[in-house]
Amino acid sequence: MKLTEAFQLAVKNIKGNRMRTFLTMLGIIIGIAAVIVIVGLGNGMEKYMRDQFADMGTNTVSVNIMGRGSSRSVSETQMYALVAENPEYFDQISPTVSFSGTVKIGTESPSSTSVTGVSEAYFDMKSYTISSGRGLQYVDVAKRRNVCVVGNYLNSTYYGGNAVGQTIRLSGRSFLIVGVMTQEADDEMEEGGTDDCVFLPYSTAARMSYTGTITSYTLTVVDETQAAASVTIVEDYLYDIFSDDDAYRVISMAEMLDAMNAMINVMIGILAGIAAISLVVGGIGIMNIMLVSVTERTREIGIRKALGAKERYIMQQFVIEAATTSALGGVLGITVGYGLSSIATVVVTALMQENLTVSPSIGAVLGAFGISTFIGIVFGYLPAKKAARLNPIDALHYD
Amino acid sequence: MSALIEFQDVCKVYEMGDSVVRAADHISMQIQKGEFVAIVGQSGSGKSTCMNIIGCLDVPTDGKYLLDGRDVGSLDKDQLAEIRNKMLGFIFQQYNLLAKLTLLENVEVPMMYAGVPRGERRERAKVALEMVGLGSKINHRPAQLSGGQQQRVSIARALVGEPAVILADEPTGALDSHTGRDVLTLLQQLHAAGNTVVLITHDNSIAVQAQRIIRLEDGRVIYDGDSHAPEAVVSSGLSGMGGGQ
Repeated sequence: MKLTEAFQLAVKNIKGNRMRTFLTMLGIIIGIAAVIVIVGLGNGMEKYMRDQFADMGTNTVSVNIMGRGSSRSVSETQMYALVAENPEYFDQISPTVSFSGTVKIGTESPSSTSVTGVSEAYFDMKSYTISSGRGLQYVDVAKRRNVCVVGNYLNSTYYGGNAVGQTIRLSGRSFLIVGVMTQEADDEMEEGGTDDCVFLPYSTAARMSYTGTITSYTLTVVDETQAAASVTIVEDYLYDIFSDDDAYRVISMAEMLDAMNAMINVMIGILAGIAAISLVVGGIGIMNIMLVSVTERTREIGIRKALGAKERYIMQQFVIEAATTSALGGVLGITVGYGLSSIATVVVTALMQENLTVSPSIGAVLGAFGISTFIGIVFGYLPAKKAARLNPIDALHYD
Repeated sequence: MSALIEFQDVCKVYEMGDSVVRAADHISMQIQKGEFVAIVGQSGSGKSTCMNIIGCLDVPTDGKYLLDGRDVGSLDKDQLAEIRNKMLGFIFQQYNLLAKLTLLENVEVPMMYAGVPRGERRERAKVALEMVGLGSKINHRPAQLSGGQQQRVSIARALVGEPAVILADEPTGALDSHTGRDVLTLLQQLHAAGNTVVLITHDNSIAVQAQRIIRLEDGRVIYDGDSHAPEAVVSSGLSGMGGGQ
């Protein structure tokens, strides 16, 4: 008997028991759909994270100096020297001083605005551009001038688009706005978003801060793939100064992205694993129904054996039937999974107000189909064996 | 030339709990090619055991069964299946058609297991169904037919593979006397056409339709000869109150 004939026979039997077959497949359908949606969600999250990090710049390394007591510290000159000494790894550096004082524009006090002290190189490092006026310059830093560049949110919300030449008060001190940055947000600008910001010379910001020292730096690396090596260079340099690896923290964005992705993958793996349990449950459901089917069809098996069916043909017939049922469940599961993925994309996007596309990978789909067929074969084997082993005399007289 | 079917001291012993049942007790017989033989006996006489052994559904515990000169007792399950497929055609009391298949598909089943290509299979099944007078109903399902018609389908299925032996187990048992007679006539025609037919029955009035009767009682042969001899329809002892229905 040919395999195609065994397959046709299986399809015939499945068609004859539509409702039962559907209920049998339900476990597989749910399992496959769940795995596909979860894997799709994982892919979407990974892509989302990558986009977010790309915005922040995956070529940056940030250094935080906690210091050791008050005795030792590292000066900005030392940090600039580090970059200058390793041109094959580092491109540019900017100290970053976050400012925590009040912001006042006329009589209004925006509370979510981020104010940061940076060097003149910072804009280039972050690929920020100036839409009007000028950026910060070396002389602003050197002379600790009270000048600043504002984001387009402040410009359009408080200055009607004409911020250049006007002033903003930071902790009571008046700053001249010398430039406005090009809008960063793709669509609507938000309070507290990327465009709600003020950049002033880091030297000015440091003087205004409580300690007066600079504790953070942002560096750009020449080659993202060398991020780990670059981090090591900074760490070695700082260890020589502090002799204590708790005194500083060096983080590369590229490494962080990798770490985040690894974390997401682990999480998705666990979730998919849990979803896959329902595949096993579905498989047991198939086995159960196949066992019932073998009992119901004992007489048929007896007749077939009397007419000359060898054990392997009977076996083949039942295994193929189980595998076909399961694979059909797999195909339906994939369809349902794709449908749910589209719905999930809409729902997640609406809920999080972020663009997250739930996109199942072809690999997951093929894997799901393969696994469901495999489950059918594995769980169909036992009932098929039972059928094949039936004694034809007993089977013929079974009622 | 050796016999088509030959039993040499065939024994079949079942152990049921503590008791031992001798369903076949040193049965020896020969059936030649082209014969029409009825194996007759009451229930418990061992005729079903005989039929299972002849039909290669079972093997003797002792003694030898030679089918066309081949010792069946030494064969494995797959070889037995192949012999059933190629050399035997079964006709059962309960017809034993597959309910989900059409008549044509039912008749095709043995040829499917024999590996006959689909086109040829279909053609031969059609011819067989026409021969039993059901050529117009090839796409019906068994449930749409009367008992007599179903039995004729099962006869078509039995002879379509051109087996060496047609083995009929109480073929009229589920039929009324009129349709039963039709089925017997069909078997006689098959015999007349040169087929070897072995009929298993408890019913003397059926058995006498055959050429020769082998009467079993308690697992032994108590009569083997012409079906028209007066002794053929008489049982020995108390258990033999077999008669026509």
